[in-house]
Amino acid sequence: MGSLILRRLIATIPVLLLVTAGVFALIHLTPGDPIDAMMAESVDDAVKREMRRELGLDRPLYLQYATWMGRLLQGDLGRSIRNSEPVIQNVGRRIRPSLQLAGLAMAISLLVATPIGILSAARRNSALDRVGTSFALFGICMPNFLIALLLIFVFGVTLRWLPISGYVDPLEEPWDGLRSLALPAITLGLALAAVITRTLRSSMLEALSEDYIRTARAKGLSDGAVIRRHALKNALIPVVTVLGLQLGTLIGGAVITEYVFALPGVGRLVVDAVFARDYPLVQGVVLLIAVGFIVSNLMVDLLYGWIDPRIRHR
Amino acid sequence: MAGSIPGSGTADPATLVAPAATPALRERRWEILRRAARARLAPFGAAVMLLAIAVALLAPVVAPHDPLKQNLNRTLARPDRIHLMGTDNVGRDVLSRVIWGTRVSLVAGFGSVIIAVLSGGLLGLLAGYASGRVDNLVMRLMDAVLSFPPLVLALALGAVLGAGLTGVVIALGVVYTPTFARLTRGQVLTITAREYVDAARALGAPGWRIAWTHVLPNATAPIVVQASLSVAFAILAEASLSFLGLGVQPPQASWGSMINAGRGYLQQAPWIVFGPGAALFVTVVGLNFVGDAVRDALDPRLRA
Repeated sequence: MGSLILRRLIATIPVLLLVTAGVFALIHLTPGDPIDAMMAESVDDAVKREMRRELGLDRPLYLQYATWMGRLLQGDLGRSIRNSEPVIQNVGRRIRPSLQLAGLAMAISLLVATPIGILSAARRNSALDRVGTSFALFGICMPNFLIALLLIFVFGVTLRWLPISGYVDPLEEPWDGLRSLALPAITLGLALAAVITRTLRSSMLEALSEDYIRTARAKGLSDGAVIRRHALKNALIPVVTVLGLQLGTLIGGAVITEYVFALPGVGRLVVDAVFARDYPLVQGVVLLIAVGFIVSNLMVDLLYGWIDPRIRHR
Repeated sequence: MAGSIPGSGTADPATLVAPAATPALRERRWEILRRAARARLAPFGAAVMLLAIAVALLAPVVAPHDPLKQNLNRTLARPDRIHLMGTDNVGRDVLSRVIWGTRVSLVAGFGSVIIAVLSGGLLGLLAGYASGRVDNLVMRLMDAVLSFPPLVLALALGAVLGAGLTGVVIALGVVYTPTFARLTRGQVLTITAREYVDAARALGAPGWRIAWTHVLPNATAPIVVQASLSVAFAILAEASLSFLGLGVQPPQASWGSMINAGRGYLQQAPWIVFGPGAALFVTVVGLNFVGDAVRDALDPRLRA
């Protein structure tokens, strides 16, 4: 296991280097002058010159990259142009709602997908299965923002059960906090549930056709015990893989969900920074998201090795 | 899963490798078509796709009204016989805007996938053929692109390329490139290990000819499958970016931007959101069915 972790960590280094180079290059891809794009025309030339100097844009490219990397290694991700606060502080303020949203969405998706996926597979080709597969198809083809607006329309506007925007921290006010996160978490959770349902159904079908299931049935185990103890355990492995593959989609979905429900999370921060053309902030947040994404993928890989001994020993 | 940019995973690369052109090829093509048509929902998917293409091409003819013409006397009007999908907050006909929006969606969907297939295909071919250091560099580069959550990458690229359809198509093209690069590289590695490539080499065929006449034709099946599935996801991605305000700029109609503009009127005029929403959903479902049918036809082993 130790060597697996080490191997994966070493393989990550060149990718991380390329990622930083890509994020660094971002600001230079702007057609025209990035400072002109960031600041209004009315801004004084002297201010623009100062900004150019501060961002180091007046120096050769390799020097800019070296300085930027040097700062990065010291944990300095740069400063936002809008509020001149360090990127880290900007993100730090926004991370809590995003993590709460992701955690709740993940819980909802598992709660919804596990029974549907299992029942769909156990009662293959029944009416129940058709409902399950239709649900999966619906969730996969439906864009996040449309699910969000449907939920707002039904539960926010028509029935008036739940708030449609704003954020209350559930750690401070549990009831109001959960209510404020309910619709966003369901939006994100349903989309994820669709993918998990589909995967779980097909991996359950595969597991149920194995010889050891026939053996388990032959020795007189009940249907429930066969599914719980023998089929489900083996069917969960592909689900973990898919969860890992879906992380990126989950993050993207969170960006949209936070935007629709006006949640002050990291996703919303990216969108706002893009609109304000606050390039240093865009660079910093995108880099942090990418690194977070790489680290979580790494963890999923390791988790996979931990669940399935066959992979560990390869 | 949508709203995000899904579908950047690849289909199983170890898919079929057809024998080089033989007299049985035409028969095989018929068999593929027959299999595609037999897929249960394929006819519906094909109908939706053809309808969308026809509507996109004939938008000026089939749209009942000017999509940009405002009528401030008839704002937020309910669907009726004159405006089948009602009007929006400045009195524009929603149906006509949905029809014109089809163009944007299809251009974005097909355009970005074409860019991704071409660039990813070339990079994959290069990596698979050159092997060694070049292979390593190209594939690490692709890993780096895959290290960004797709929508975040598209957002960042869209930010620097500027809003508009061209920026979105290029950004999505970049996002989907690694998928096709990996797929093509895998195919090249499998195919170049085959005996008929050894035979061509022994006969003294130059590398480019082997790539062009042997490797490329045999590598197309899985690439076509992946491409047909990617188009639906690219359409969703364009709608998401336009919804965030980064895609096509107003007043030009795009499904995503229409939905974003309409969300403030969800209570008084839900049709502004649900008209383009329905168009988007049906198109994506249809294209998914087509993609599934293509996959089943070209590689029955992958059938779910």
